[in-house]
Amino acid sequence: MIMPPGKHLLLPANPLFIWTSLVAAILGNMLLSMSGLGRAAWVPDLLALTLVFWNVHQPLRVGIGAAFVFGLIMDVQQTTLLGQHALAYVVLSYWAVSIHRRLLWFPVFTQTGHVLPLFALAQALVIAVRFAGGAGWPAWSSLLAPVCTAVLWPLATAVLLAPQRRPPDPDKHRPL
Amino acid sequence: MPLGTLDHTPPPFFKQGLSALSKLTLLGAMAVLLMVTDNRFAMTAGIRSALVTALTPLQWLAMVPVQWGQSAGNRLQLLETAQAKAESTARALANQSARAGQVEDLTLENKRLRDLLGLRERVSAQGLAAQVLYDAADPYAHRVIIDQGGTHGVQAGSAVLDESGVLGQVTRVHPLVSEVTLLTDREQAIPVLNTRTGVRSVAYGQPGLFKHELELRFMAGNADVQEGDVLSTSGVDAVYPPGLPVAKVVSVQRQAESAFARVLCEPYAQVGSTRHVLILPPTGAQLPAAPVTAEIKHPRGRDKTRVTAKPH
Repeated sequence: MIMPPGKHLLLPANPLFIWTSLVAAILGNMLLSMSGLGRAAWVPDLLALTLVFWNVHQPLRVGIGAAFVFGLIMDVQQTTLLGQHALAYVVLSYWAVSIHRRLLWFPVFTQTGHVLPLFALAQALVIAVRFAGGAGWPAWSSLLAPVCTAVLWPLATAVLLAPQRRPPDPDKHRPL
Repeated sequence: MPLGTLDHTPPPFFKQGLSALSKLTLLGAMAVLLMVTDNRFAMTAGIRSALVTALTPLQWLAMVPVQWGQSAGNRLQLLETAQAKAESTARALANQSARAGQVEDLTLENKRLRDLLGLRERVSAQGLAAQVLYDAADPYAHRVIIDQGGTHGVQAGSAVLDESGVLGQVTRVHPLVSEVTLLTDREQAIPVLNTRTGVRSVAYGQPGLFKHELELRFMAGNADVQEGDVLSTSGVDAVYPPGLPVAKVVSVQRQAESAFARVLCEPYAQVGSTRHVLILPPTGAQLPAAPVTAEIKHPRGRDKTRVTAKPH
């Protein structure tokens, strides 16, 4: 099997862990919005980050359909127009699925640069939809949101791949 | 690494379902369709309410650390702050009790005068207390979520007050929670009355970079508005009960090139930090029904005459 240099073979991902991490990301988003940051525009979108992560690492499990459903949940949670985040996440997820074979050959910090345009596009889509709805221009700090989200990519890689990095149970009788 | 490298089942080579591009097209179109239905026709309220109710346990879970943080913050505040707060509360209470004594007297007097004048009694509303749970995360809108919903009897369109004035209006009711749009939201408007001059106008939300205010639009350049004027609800909208304090005029700019004056007001309600609110149902529900108008065809069939029939 062809592996990127310096990468270890990972354990298979646990589907339960994948979905739990996505629900935890929703919870994190709720917590960020309730904890006084309120309606600040620069707050990173943890759900988009987790979604892109699993789209890249497990595209057959978490795909574009999941992105749509989580987008609807985000719309309801943010009390915005129903379908606005769904559209942004579907496009985000499509792009993530289409770059997933290339992206993982790069070192983690270079990957950050590759995922930044994804988050920027998703944010631009949300802003475009709001603009079409007559909401006017957003605050300047909303330009920071994709950067804040992308900066968390190495952290997400460290946390979300941790269960798969565990060494397998050694078996004395069958060493392989 | 794609799924299935070490899984027990081999990855599906041929049966992979729809291609990513067709999924994108399909779901993107669905999202656009949803946005249009949500914006133009009120057909998605059911989906939204169902999702909100399904998310409620998660929301309560997310609120727990926030509440811990708040209570820890309350415990750690300085003694001086607490003393100052208690003193100001006592002073406000003394002021209010003096006024409350007058209210009984004035209510009686008012009732007699109104009886004399043969006026209908003013609408009075039964309030419902609620607590603000959190700010909605949308950076464009000014909305808060309160902990009373349709099962508690909240109606959409109700006025929401805090201890100092009108805070906003209930715009969406879910079974367990409701959304309140604050006065400072860009799309929110409230009919007001200048208590000094008695002139009615409409105040629109004017969210700013640092400070969120209200603007009285379309006030003529020579209109009698001064800094410090108190605006209260006018009661002509059949939503807000009349006489509730709304805002204070903080700046009036009259420009030679514009026919209108730019009047900015500061809301009395603490739109950023309020915790406890009162919900008043729309006053329109208490008013008698509007007279029925029936269209009667003229014998010649040319023009229509409107006849007002009194309900029996």
